Amino acid sequence: MPRIVREAEIDWEGTTARGAGVVRAASTGSFELSATIASRIEVIEGKTSPEELLAAAHATCFVTSLGSELARLGNPPERMHVRCTITMDEVEAAGHRIVASHIAARAVVPGADDATLAAAAEAADAGCPFSALIRATATVSVEAVLEGGDS
Amino acid sequence: MADRTAHVIWSGSLMEGAGTITSVDSGAFGPLDVTWAARTEDSDGRTSPEELIAAAHAACFSMALSHGLAQAGTPPEKLDVDATVTFVPGTGITKSALTVRAVVPGIDEPAFLHAAQAAVENCPVSQALAAVPEITVDASLV
Repeated sequence: MPRIVREAEIDWEGTTARGAGVVRAASTGSFELSATIASRIEVIEGKTSPEELLAAAHATCFVTSLGSELARLGNPPERMHVRCTITMDEVEAAGHRIVASHIAARAVVPGADDATLAAAAEAADAGCPFSALIRATATVSVEAVLEGGDS
Repeated sequence: MADRTAHVIWSGSLMEGAGTITSVDSGAFGPLDVTWAARTEDSDGRTSPEELIAAAHAACFSMALSHGLAQAGTPPEKLDVDATVTFVPGTGITKSALTVRAVVPGIDEPAFLHAAQAAVENCPVSQALAAVPEITVDASLV
């Protein structure tokens, strides 16, 4: 499999405290977002932050892993919803650090029981490249529950 | 402490299905479409976890560098930062390469390079990506 490269870029004007940035998806043009230090650590005011982008990355990475693990176990999912919460905290003598990522998944999986979903969620966490990365320096926790289908 | 949350919905299998980053709590973006093909082959206008990590790293680095330069008495006028994240399916995320072109009144090159190195080492996203084999920064004044 070839290496896959994805790019993003940001232009920042002025100082961290009073300036502001615009972050763009350079590979695809699929988003262009404003970011400030206040939106990162204080009031959000509709602006994104590195931690929110990481939450989006982890949720997306995990959901693709969970889908393939369920299919591998013979229970391809109909629909999955994943919510990821990234926590940054001030750590003594180290400053701001990303300390935790929590994944909460709900899935509609025809024919699957709780044990199947639990096994798939565990394997998905083990296989998701982002979980592996962030676990080196932060806590990763995963909860997954089955939901009823449309019927 | 700062919590940030994102939501994703995926329908169907990995290869044939598709997902949407439906929303983030700030409301700054979403919905964004994602697929496995867009992640690993042609992006075709869709984002991916790696592109989002690149955006997070670029944003974090630019804030850390701006802060470091201001603390040293040479606040920047403008920082233009790129981050390129490399994903190898089956192996994982192998590299994040940062590039910065900066306008910083009154600074000399050694001091700027020192600030850039400190920013890449200390920014929280770099720390969170500590397990990535290669994190590089190419810094220059313009």
